[in-house]
Amino acid sequence: MRAVRFHGRGGQGAKTASRILGTAAFLEGFVAQDSPIYGAERRGAPVAAFTRIAKDPIRERGVIVHPDLVVIADASLVQDPAARVLDGIDERTAVFVNTSLTAEQCQAQTSLPGRLTTLDLTDIALQQFGKRGAISALLGAVAGRLAGLHRESMSGAIARELADLGLAVPVIEHNQTIALQCYDAVRTVPLETGAAQPAASAQLQVPSYEPPTRGTARISAAANSILRETGGWRTFRPVLVPDKCNGCWLCFAYCPDGVISMTKDDRPVIDYAHCKGCQICVHECPTEALVAEREQEGAVAWKAK
Amino acid sequence: MEGEMMTGNLAAAWGARLVDVDYVPAFPITPQTEIVEALAKWCESGAMAARFVTMDSEHSMMTAAGAAAATGARVFTATSSQGLLYALEVLYSVSGWRAPLVLVNVSRALAAPITLEPDHNDVLAARDCGFLQIHAETCQEVLDSILMAYRIAEDERVMLPVIVNLDGFYLSFTREPVIMPDPEQVKRFLPPFRPAHLGFKASSPHALGVAVLSGTPYSYFRHQMHLAAINALDVHREAAAAFEQLFGRRYDVVEGYRLDDAEDVLVMTNAFASKGKVAVDVARAEGKRVGLLRLRMIRPWPADAIRHALQGRRAVAVLDQNLSPGQGGILFQEVAACLYHEALRPRALCSFIGGLGGKNLSEGELRAIFEQTAEAGVQGKGIGPVLLYTEAEHREMVQLQVLAGGLKS
Repeated sequence: MRAVRFHGRGGQGAKTASRILGTAAFLEGFVAQDSPIYGAERRGAPVAAFTRIAKDPIRERGVIVHPDLVVIADASLVQDPAARVLDGIDERTAVFVNTSLTAEQCQAQTSLPGRLTTLDLTDIALQQFGKRGAISALLGAVAGRLAGLHRESMSGAIARELADLGLAVPVIEHNQTIALQCYDAVRTVPLETGAAQPAASAQLQVPSYEPPTRGTARISAAANSILRETGGWRTFRPVLVPDKCNGCWLCFAYCPDGVISMTKDDRPVIDYAHCKGCQICVHECPTEALVAEREQEGAVAWKAK
Repeated sequence: MEGEMMTGNLAAAWGARLVDVDYVPAFPITPQTEIVEALAKWCESGAMAARFVTMDSEHSMMTAAGAAAATGARVFTATSSQGLLYALEVLYSVSGWRAPLVLVNVSRALAAPITLEPDHNDVLAARDCGFLQIHAETCQEVLDSILMAYRIAEDERVMLPVIVNLDGFYLSFTREPVIMPDPEQVKRFLPPFRPAHLGFKASSPHALGVAVLSGTPYSYFRHQMHLAAINALDVHREAAAAFEQLFGRRYDVVEGYRLDDAEDVLVMTNAFASKGKVAVDVARAEGKRVGLLRLRMIRPWPADAIRHALQGRRAVAVLDQNLSPGQGGILFQEVAACLYHEALRPRALCSFIGGLGGKNLSEGELRAIFEQTAEAGVQGKGIGPVLLYTEAEHREMVQLQVLAGGLKS
């Protein structure tokens, strides 16, 4: 069985990519299973999806603890402990990262174990589609190449899955073309399947009774949401052009996360550790004093504690 | 590979479409939403002839569903978790009317604390309401069970509504190959719905679910429901045979996996049973004589089939994906009760609680179950309830408590 785990951010298409891979495998005559896992869905929040490919019926379910291949749609997820990207990865795991860095640079910077390969899918998507989020087909195609599936099945699967999302035929065809370019361009790495050893018996530790201050689901720590830095959710950051700002406070009023504060002379200050990059402030600014700039890897304001 | 890739939710929607329901009252709730979305789309496009109505709550939804079934319409609806509990009052009425609709429940753990992932406290809260219950392991079984559910529910010997249960996430959002039954064959399997005791017509008035205000008629009618539910065991057998003949797949009230020479048996339900089967294979490869019994029908309780499968075993473990506070695993109690008079009852009964709120059931946990169960069998003394909770999870939990409480660890 080939076990593929996708990590992405809500809206990037990790779930659709896992489905494209599943459908492609199915079209090639394999048994496939794909499933996403997420909480309350939010654009930018970490999500994961799983695709299993086998010759016989698949009886594993849910999370893939020991993946053969990990597909990372957003390099910032590697540093986010909540995303659990590193779980079950060892030096034999094949790992794809969507990044502008080379595999060597990425390995050096992230200390990711595994056999790394990279491609800048975000840049390709921006150039080809003019959108930052639309990389599901590209991710799926890259995953398919690394999992050893055929070009034709990838193309067919992309057509099916994007049609299922209600996309127009020209958009689907454009996606197919670009995705197959990514399929050809990605450097392959060896895929070792079923390398995981049988698990040892779990060490159970049944919790004991605790007073209700700890034994009930309650939060008494004030303002602890500040501990959860969400700056890594951004692909674009809003940047102030001070000369154009008229001090109207609209950005402050519209920010859904309360990460914009105002100085005494009515200029916005953005908390980049928590700004999720939704761009609402950029859209609302009447004088175009806030502009969107793409985040550069290795230079992100956000980093894990 | 035959069939097509389909989520458990879409398979459930196809079940309703294939049996050509007349009416679908709906109220969306995660993780059931895809079912009502698919049905809404098909009703709007004309692919289904049914009337689709969005209601203001699950309570209204079940009231509408029962009322429509009481007019003789074939009715389908679906809910989950808090929605099922909100509808619970009405479930007792609908079964009392002997209105044989089918309700799909997509299991999701109950608040508080709130979560989206599955366990079975929701569907088991409806254990005693008079609905029959079928719990599915795969997406294919979800679809097939809906077809079987209508056939059983609408049988004159039964005439009770049925809940078909599937796990949120592990089936609801999971795609796997599903073979689509041929609609013409479905028509042969499921005759038109013509209930003798239901149906409102002009010039033929009748009242349903009337007040009795005395224990004598009340006892009589509730007992009738009990007998009807027991009849469903035979009706299920017939339906399973007919289903197998037409579609080539067989579903019994319980499913044995590698039971033949098994010393120790693990009892499970729903989607995690797949993982249990993998664990049985792993243990067998190491020379351990273990097997699995999956309970598919929960109501009526298939006591004879369970007794037959478990008699003479060294030890039996029941893995409950539910918790009755102050008692333990719900299904463990029922398994234990039906073994009491069995002369060859197992030497030890073990109760494990796992997968609450969708917590992963790991290979290591299943291995621990087999080890502890074998030991209990040797000792001749049962254990439990044992919560499956690992040291690593405990450490993670302490970290969360520190964050939430602003306390020192």
